[in-house]
Amino acid sequence: MYSHYEFVTGPFAWMAFLIFIFGSIYRFYSLYKLARKKDGAVFEYMDLKFALRSIGHWLTPFGSRSMKLNPSMTVVTFLFHISLFLVPIFVFGHVVLWKENFDISWFTLPNIVADIMTLIVICSCAFFLWRRIKLPEVRYLTTVGDYVILLIVAAPFITGFWAYHQFPGFAAITIIHIISGEIMLIAIPFTKLFHMFTFPFTRGYIGSEFGGIRMAKDW
Amino acid sequence: MNYSSAKPKKLFLNCIISAMKSIVPKGIFLTSLFLIISGTAFSNDCYTINGESLEDNTNTRPFVCFPHDEHNENAGLDDNCARCHHVYTDGQLMPDESSEDSSCSECHMSQEKPNDLDLIVRYHKLCRSCHLEEKKGPITCGECHKKP
Ligand code: HEC
Ligand code: HEC
Ligand code: HEC
Ligand code: HEC
Repeated sequence: MYSHYEFVTGPFAWMAFLIFIFGSIYRFYSLYKLARKKDGAVFEYMDLKFALRSIGHWLTPFGSRSMKLNPSMTVVTFLFHISLFLVPIFVFGHVVLWKENFDISWFTLPNIVADIMTLIVICSCAFFLWRRIKLPEVRYLTTVGDYVILLIVAAPFITGFWAYHQFPGFAAITIIHIISGEIMLIAIPFTKLFHMFTFPFTRGYIGSEFGGIRMAKDW
Repeated sequence: MNYSSAKPKKLFLNCIISAMKSIVPKGIFLTSLFLIISGTAFSNDCYTINGESLEDNTNTRPFVCFPHDEHNENAGLDDNCARCHHVYTDGQLMPDESSEDSSCSECHMSQEKPNDLDLIVRYHKLCRSCHLEEKKGPITCGECHKKP
């Protein structure tokens, strides 16, 4: 227990952060090189105004046609992404550890808000799983990897909820919670979770092409 | 692409609602149980560390049960009060002097922002680091901040 705790909060944590940072830089670099090589025209099309216009629409709830067509999916994905982003950064239990280890700290979410947002993430993952299994048009496109990613994303939230509420076995679960968060960090650069960084570029590119070349809306 | 039926929405909402239900009544149930027990049979010698200076924290955890004398007996700290009640002179730890007549907050709570994390973090560092060194005693949040 003690040596596990020291390992997951020490060497393994450092490794996870380094892989996350350098893996992301590497992915950006290789995507950039690939785009240069395969389709240099991408860079000619890019237009800040059209890019931002498109990104703006897609970051606004119901800002695009497909969002209006699937309202339940829209509500769930927006709540999901907001919670997924805010909880790990602003939950008190994490900020106090930043303070302990690096002497920096920032705003924290009230416990109850973090608790509800955690449930939103867990329930969203259940919803996404249900959708993958039940809807033929989604199941058709689903690979094993998609289920694994769902698990990678849900695990830190399920275990975090467990540890916070001190359900049975929470001490060991806390260690699994730490590991699962680290696995998620490591997975970000190498899986489709990387869309958290590439989103503005892919959206911006499509927006530029539709706005500047096809003179059409892409939302 | 037509999954905008009522079903998934219901699924999602039911999930949230039932999850909320499962924590709320349990909390109420456990606190009432605790009140009954502590009011009757239970008399513990938990020592609440400087509760006043920390209780305004908006992100409170349950206070730590720290049975001062028993803890130090078990941990073999009976005659090493200075391990926790330390004294520093010019940044140097004075191993032979101790400060048990002052509370930690007197030296470790920032005056401008009494509710910030400074004091909390001091406790965490002092307590957890020894438990890790000795491979004995609690290290995860919930083990120290036990729910009643
Ligand atoms: C080794 C024991 C220990 C561990 C582990 C520990 N704490 Fe504490 N913590 C304390 C002590 C002692 C205090 C000060 C007195 C008190 O709260 O009873 C304190 C104070 C606090 C406070 C302010 C007072 C309160 O109870 O609201 C918060 C909040 C807190 N800790 C959160 C955490 C979180 C989050 C974690 C896990 C990341 C954690 N603690 C891990 C011992 C511990
Ligand atoms: C494991 C760390 C630790 C050790 C060792 C320790 N104490 Fe303490 N003691 C504490 C903490 C924490 C408090 C609470 C301080 C506060 O509230 O600011 C405390 C409080 C006290 C208080 C104040 C009690 C009160 O009710 O206000 C006295 C007196 C005291 N300790 C004496 C001693 C003596 C004497 C020894 C050595 C035999 C000793 N302590 C060893 C951690 C320790
Ligand atoms: C008489 C003032 C005084 C009292 C009382 C006092 N400390 Fe300290 N403490 C200091 C000074 C001075 C330092 C060294 C400088 C620094 O780190 O701020 C220090 C250092 C520390 C450190 C190491 C800091 C680090 O970053 O590793 C911890 C942890 C700590 N104190 C916790 C406590 C706890 C817990 C108590 C109560 C049991 C306590 N102190 C009581 C003055 C005090
Ligand atoms: C110098 C070492 C040391 C320091 C400092 C220390 N502890 Fe401990 N603590 C121990 C040891 C050793 C044990 C295991 C004792 C045993 O054998 O049961 C322990 C056990 C505990 C336990 C479990 C008690 C039980 O009966 O299972 C709690 C709770 C605890 N410590 C709280 C604290 C808090 C809170 C602080 C900070 C104020 C603290 N400890 C500081 C050494 C330390």
